[in-house]
Amino acid sequence: MNDKQTAETWSIDTDTPLQAVLDSPDCPPLLHHSLIGPLSWQARNETSLRTTLKSPRVAPQWIAALLALGAAVTIEGEDGQPVQVTLEEVVQRRTRSQAMALHIPTKGLRWGEARVVRTPADEPIVAATAVVEMKNDIVQQARVALTGAGSEPARLAEPAALLAGGPLNADRIQAVAAAVEAAVEPTGDFMGSAEYRRAMAGVLTRRALEQCQSQEI
Amino acid sequence: MNQNSLSITLTINGTEKTLTVQRSDTLLDALRRASYFSVKFGCGTGDCGACTVLLDGEPVRSCQIRATEAAGRAVTTVEALADKEQVFLPSPGLAGLHPLQRAFIETGAIQCGYCTPAQLLTAKALLDRQPNPSEAEIREALGGVLCRCTGYVKIVQAVQRAAALLRGEDPAPFAPIEATLAPDTPLAELLGEYSRVGADGAPLILSPPEMEHLNVVGQGEPKVDGVKLALGQPAFTDDIQMEGMLYGALLTSPHAHARIKQIDASQARALPGVHAVLTHRDIPRVKYASGGQSYPQPPPFDQVCLDDTVRHVGDRVAVVAAETPALAQQALRLIEVEYEVLPHVLDPQAAMQDGAPIVHDEPDTEGIYDRQRNIVHHIEAEGGDREAQWAKADYTFEQEYRTSQQQQAHIEPHVCITYWDEDGRLVVRTSTQVPFHIRRMLAPLIGLPVKQIRVVKPRIGGGFGNKQEMILEDLCAHLTIATGRPVRMEYTRAQEFTSSRSRHPQIMRYKIGVTAEMEVVATELYLIGDTCAYGTHGLTVQMVGGQKGLTLYNAPYSKFVCDVVYTNKPTPGAFRGYGSMQCHFGIEMLMSEIADRMGWDVIEFKRRNWIKQGEELLLAKALGEGREGFQQIIRSNGLEDCVRVGLEATDWYHKRGNETWRQGENGMRRGIGMSVMLHGSGIAGLDMAAATIKMNDDGSFNLLVGATDLGTGSDTILAQIAAEVLGIPATDLVVYSSDTDFTPFDKGAYASSTTYISGEAVRKAALKVAAQIKDHAATMLGSDTSEDMTLRDRQVFTPDGSSLTLEQVALSSLHQQDQHQIIASASHISYECPPPFGAQFVELAVDTETGQVTVERVLMVADAGRVINPITASGQVEGGLQQAIGFAHCEEMVYDESGRLVNPRLGPYRVYRCHEMPHLEAIFVQTEEPTGPFGAKSISELPLDGIAPAMADAIHDATGVWIREVPFTPERVWRALRSADTYSGVWQI
Repeated sequence: MNDKQTAETWSIDTDTPLQAVLDSPDCPPLLHHSLIGPLSWQARNETSLRTTLKSPRVAPQWIAALLALGAAVTIEGEDGQPVQVTLEEVVQRRTRSQAMALHIPTKGLRWGEARVVRTPADEPIVAATAVVEMKNDIVQQARVALTGAGSEPARLAEPAALLAGGPLNADRIQAVAAAVEAAVEPTGDFMGSAEYRRAMAGVLTRRALEQCQSQEI
Repeated sequence: MNQNSLSITLTINGTEKTLTVQRSDTLLDALRRASYFSVKFGCGTGDCGACTVLLDGEPVRSCQIRATEAAGRAVTTVEALADKEQVFLPSPGLAGLHPLQRAFIETGAIQCGYCTPAQLLTAKALLDRQPNPSEAEIREALGGVLCRCTGYVKIVQAVQRAAALLRGEDPAPFAPIEATLAPDTPLAELLGEYSRVGADGAPLILSPPEMEHLNVVGQGEPKVDGVKLALGQPAFTDDIQMEGMLYGALLTSPHAHARIKQIDASQARALPGVHAVLTHRDIPRVKYASGGQSYPQPPPFDQVCLDDTVRHVGDRVAVVAAETPALAQQALRLIEVEYEVLPHVLDPQAAMQDGAPIVHDEPDTEGIYDRQRNIVHHIEAEGGDREAQWAKADYTFEQEYRTSQQQQAHIEPHVCITYWDEDGRLVVRTSTQVPFHIRRMLAPLIGLPVKQIRVVKPRIGGGFGNKQEMILEDLCAHLTIATGRPVRMEYTRAQEFTSSRSRHPQIMRYKIGVTAEMEVVATELYLIGDTCAYGTHGLTVQMVGGQKGLTLYNAPYSKFVCDVVYTNKPTPGAFRGYGSMQCHFGIEMLMSEIADRMGWDVIEFKRRNWIKQGEELLLAKALGEGREGFQQIIRSNGLEDCVRVGLEATDWYHKRGNETWRQGENGMRRGIGMSVMLHGSGIAGLDMAAATIKMNDDGSFNLLVGATDLGTGSDTILAQIAAEVLGIPATDLVVYSSDTDFTPFDKGAYASSTTYISGEAVRKAALKVAAQIKDHAATMLGSDTSEDMTLRDRQVFTPDGSSLTLEQVALSSLHQQDQHQIIASASHISYECPPPFGAQFVELAVDTETGQVTVERVLMVADAGRVINPITASGQVEGGLQQAIGFAHCEEMVYDESGRLVNPRLGPYRVYRCHEMPHLEAIFVQTEEPTGPFGAKSISELPLDGIAPAMADAIHDATGVWIREVPFTPERVWRALRSADTYSGVWQI
């Protein structure tokens, strides 16, 4: 695995298999959590980071975790030079360039993840991942990403932005959860109707943020 | 080599190999073509992991890797794990095996053995990187390889054991824990000891004080086929390559209901390399029923090999045979079919309405009860005095329950190879549970006499009822007849879902009358059985369901009314549980609901009413299996002890209704629930099995049985039964099963019959052989009589203590004195069908905000009579529990409005994986069934019967809400919790 760890960022070559990420002592707990369960050891060995960036549904929890962490991607620019873009741009296919490296913030962040599943290791019907940066008990920045509430893993920037500038308390968390529930546009399938997925988006966002609330850094 | 071919060089099991591959080949394709048959095909989509190999030491799914990606790299298959010379010379044994292989055999981690190579390789990779893994680490590592047989309990134990062996430790022999259960045995003390054995420990066997100890029966003998399965030997149907073999493929219907107006196969036939294309125009229209059942099969005969009408998405349209699988698929795409799409119906209640689309309007299907309303069978049966019993009822309760369509999901797909042998006889090598039925049923379809057909059953990679059916054999045979060449056909995983069989969805309406003194006086069941497109097993599954569902409490008045209904969905068939588990769900639910409504202790209410020893089964005669049955009396019943032990082991009365125990964080609530159950042991008066035992020069024996071990361990327990009689170790018997040319008839593996029916046939044959041995020994010793001689320790003893070895007897009888072959055959049929009994306990957590249910612990306490082999029997329980939990919790075939199955893959369909299983425990309470071999009854289907109602009971204990439809998916539970469900089906007389 080609990787580089700085004080605040962990950079990994996109040829790296997911299992090597999991095995790395630098792997943040949130990413570790996102790589076990539905993704088998075999799948992690076979799947490179590049594949997950090209096809976010291969490892949706992993992508959601990266979105929540605010990961960035180095791609090959039009002039052949490396250019850094946000992960969202890659996931939303706003760029078709080859992803070369993934950059994952590793500074002390609070994180939480909540999911609803048919069975414990099943692909979640809906899952919410939240990452919160706090300073003096005030939220500096919050990011929430969901799977199962849209066609692909997605970050919900506007609802999460409601948290910035104030404390992380129950009322503000509930407000974000309600905003998430209002914002998502899920499509129903045999695992969960659109109505159910929408309701779960709110419940699980609240739970993920509550985990952040209780976390010590 | 064509333009798409190329050579790759890679290292396989330490040896450099150059393989010619196609660019599109997966590594799985390339390895199997190179005869690395331990690498198994299970799905082709990466869901099952059966194709796992090690690539540069890391586990990967070889179906997800292009062969070209492996160039220059090191591949390890399970063929590399053992030193085979040590294993096979001088005699088969465990020496030379890798510690993992040894441990898998010793702990009973191998059932069908189809996923075993993948499990072994994954475990090896784990132990290579982590010599002392935790149980959680083992489970996570194995999470990528599905097993449908074991519940993973013994696989995890095997890896733990192997890890200890590899660390140089000397773990104690893996053995069941045995204890005596007397009426005065302090259970807390007994079960405390059991609990201290730890999580997922060896099975606990409780025996009555008077039960005689036997030498071989009752021991945890390793499976007789364990070594070859651990080695990944080519033991399965598809593990051969025949010269000139063609590949068959099936074109299936995209419509739920349609008439084929035109079908043009000319382009497909013209494709070079295609040797046959068969449509309904090419095959005689012979009516049949595909269910593998005894002669005469229950009606209706509503199928033909290829029809001009399709009745579900996935129905048969045409078959091709071509030189490669890819060519066969290409040929399918070239068949032009013009369909007249017909109206379809998916819901059985809608199908029974006037004006509904008629699923079977063809005039040549006879015996449909009400063709216009799609009712193929209408069944009515009752026993007792209706007026008198209902008059006693102080309360009447009525409720409806629904079950879904579950798929067997055996990891080895249906696969069949047919060819002409040197005598012009058709050989059918097939993964079937019913080789003799297949031979008989196939003959008229292909126009050959039975004597010209030989059916060979190699090892079976799981079946669970789905291989009690003729799925591929007729089509494959037609292709061999058309081409004169060997033909192989194998279902894709999607076809397993859409074109094989499944469990009948049912709608049950139970009505129970009870007195104020908790006595159930009357029970009525109206059942709608959805047999979907074809009627195979439709009659018998519902009859069994009614019989078992109404027998458990055996009310003095019982009535069964049933409509078996056609719809345009893929056809259900036999599936472990066979109607019984669906109807247990209904009856056990309603009994629990009544107890809750009345404020009665649910245990006491059930105890007062469950069937007792000496009672006659009220509906046994009226509800046989597709015909009238026989009167039955319960001769052994350990249910009281099963419940007593289960209550103590789970600490039931501490947890049930305990608000402190229930409460969790974040809206989580825990609950505990239970159910009781019974099943059967074979089909009374119908199931027949035979066995032949032949003595060899060294005093060993061949045991030839038509019984079909589909992973259950039946070959092993049959050997144990024979060995017990013959006074030899089970390893002195070479078991061969089954081949219609060489083994005697057996109805096959279904209806929980093998131990009880085939086992008694083996016992009878062994008794005959034992008598012959004693007679010859008397001749050798110059004695007038063989009376009072005994067989033990590979010797025959006279009352005065003199003895001869069995080898001496064999050599003498074959070569020296009064020369003859010591050999005997015996047949067995029983007019009894003794039920095994059981109690199941489930602990779970309900997330009241999301509806998610998490199963935490499952205990089954079973009375299977005398347990012939505790290791294989507990494996049956653990694997059965896994399937039962899936049925209750997550497994469901779901259709869109057009009748298309939306989840025809193992991943989205959801089979429980190793790292998400709850804690499973099995305890046996032994009884002596006087009609069974050494007191045995059955075990294989019983574990399926009670999990769904026990889970529903536990969900109610946690939340106060009854969920009356399985599976208990998060949204279904969430909606029930939000609807503030109240009991609506009760009224007081």
